[in-house]
Amino acid sequence: MDWQVNQSDREVSAEIIECCRHGDRAAFHALYQAYKDKVYSISLYFFHGDAAAASDATQQVFLKLITGIAGFRGDSEFSTWLYRMVVNTCLDSAKAERRREPLADAARVARIAAPASAETDLARAEVAGKVQAALSSLPPKLRLPVLLRYFEDLSYGEMAEALNCSLGTVASRLHKGHKLLAEKLAKLRGAAIGR
Amino acid sequence: MKHEKPPSGPIEPGELPVVKAPDAIWDSVLASLHAEGAPARSGFRWWQFAAAFSLLTVAVLLWYSMRPQPPSWEVVRLDGSPSVGSKRLAETGRIAVGEWLQTDASSRARIGIGDIGTVEVEPNSRIRLTVAKPNEHRLALARGEISAVVSAPPRLFFVDTPASTAVDLGCAYKMKTDESGSGLLRVTVGWVALESKGRESLVPAGANCRTKSGAGPGTPYFSDASDALQEALAAFDFENGGSESLRVVRAESRVRDTLTLWHLLSRVDPEERVRVFDRMVELMPLPDGVSREKVLDLDKDTLQRWRQELAWKW
Repeated sequence: MDWQVNQSDREVSAEIIECCRHGDRAAFHALYQAYKDKVYSISLYFFHGDAAAASDATQQVFLKLITGIAGFRGDSEFSTWLYRMVVNTCLDSAKAERRREPLADAARVARIAAPASAETDLARAEVAGKVQAALSSLPPKLRLPVLLRYFEDLSYGEMAEALNCSLGTVASRLHKGHKLLAEKLAKLRGAAIGR
Repeated sequence: MKHEKPPSGPIEPGELPVVKAPDAIWDSVLASLHAEGAPARSGFRWWQFAAAFSLLTVAVLLWYSMRPQPPSWEVVRLDGSPSVGSKRLAETGRIAVGEWLQTDASSRARIGIGDIGTVEVEPNSRIRLTVAKPNEHRLALARGEISAVVSAPPRLFFVDTPASTAVDLGCAYKMKTDESGSGLLRVTVGWVALESKGRESLVPAGANCRTKSGAGPGTPYFSDASDALQEALAAFDFENGGSESLRVVRAESRVRDTLTLWHLLSRVDPEERVRVFDRMVELMPLPDGVSREKVLDLDKDTLQRWRQELAWKW
């Protein structure tokens, strides 16, 4: 069966998930198509633009998804379950390769933010690069909630499930992350304006 | 709060673009699945638990079956309801090292001594398996009576009693004791050595030997010796019978009773030793290589040689 998933839908259909539970490879591919870019983007920004690390993390997430989907009982939203795997995979990989953390330099981050396209708006790319640099400076526990909030419109409850912590912790981390980010962005943006 | 959406934060929409995942990732996922042998139809997680549980069960069973077991001997019920440890013995069972076998007034049991013999345990007995090794088979008879039949090289089977230790020298015998250690050994085939605190009585087939707590093994005597000899010997061994008892023993001795006299040589004072020696020579001439002087000096080799010559008449 050839599954078509509307990427604007936040949740894939229960039918696709049920087919995945029964090993339907086409259904898995449909799931992959629906989520791959968001999973990859979160991983990429989490790993400060390290494309190899993001690819590895994305591959691991979908491997876990395929081999573990039988354990998904539908008690929570599928996306929450998926993002919990993203969070765990990113944090585990970061622990295993702590050397990636010091790579949060603006020059490196700017490279992923500026696609090599003649049509790219250079000003926009410059802002994006600064946002990514500010994001990369956040500690991982603050960076992930900010990324989840930005890329997926999750509620506090869903974020708490994905991050495996309490609602209060989510609120606290998100508040702190946003505050730090705002301070850094204000400086960066101010510097850009002042030039 | 649970269903509330958090505030959007300082990053404006579009400032962090969604980056397209490289196409190679899906191929890598499929390749990893293939390499790991993970089927796309991955099944339910229950089988993983089932497999893990089965492995654990097998491991536990293997450990249980292969764990070091305390050595044990087979026990067969002969009469009544003997018990091993705290359990009544069915028709057969096993007695492990450290366990007691107990019989009441109407029960009997037979213990296999590894593969070298058997011990029948008579009524009102209490016996414990203390060592079960290829080179040492040992029981402790606290009270009661046993009949042992052993077919093995000497000094492989031992029975400890409160007063002495019976060392099998290739034999069949009966042994009884009470809880104080007073008892009797009767040898029916071969030889048994009764030992305690450096004192040894060598008991051949047809002979008996009493034991008493504190005194150890008495002097062996043939069961067909005169009552007077037996009584006098008991008085000498355990009742400070002294010279008078020895006089009766010497007077009542036959050629065969040189067994008793030979043992007395090393258990009397030098003056009595001369009298015992003279009586032995009256009954059996000294063989070549055995001299009066060396016997009276209790020369070990001389006594040994003389015993070997005398044993032809025992």
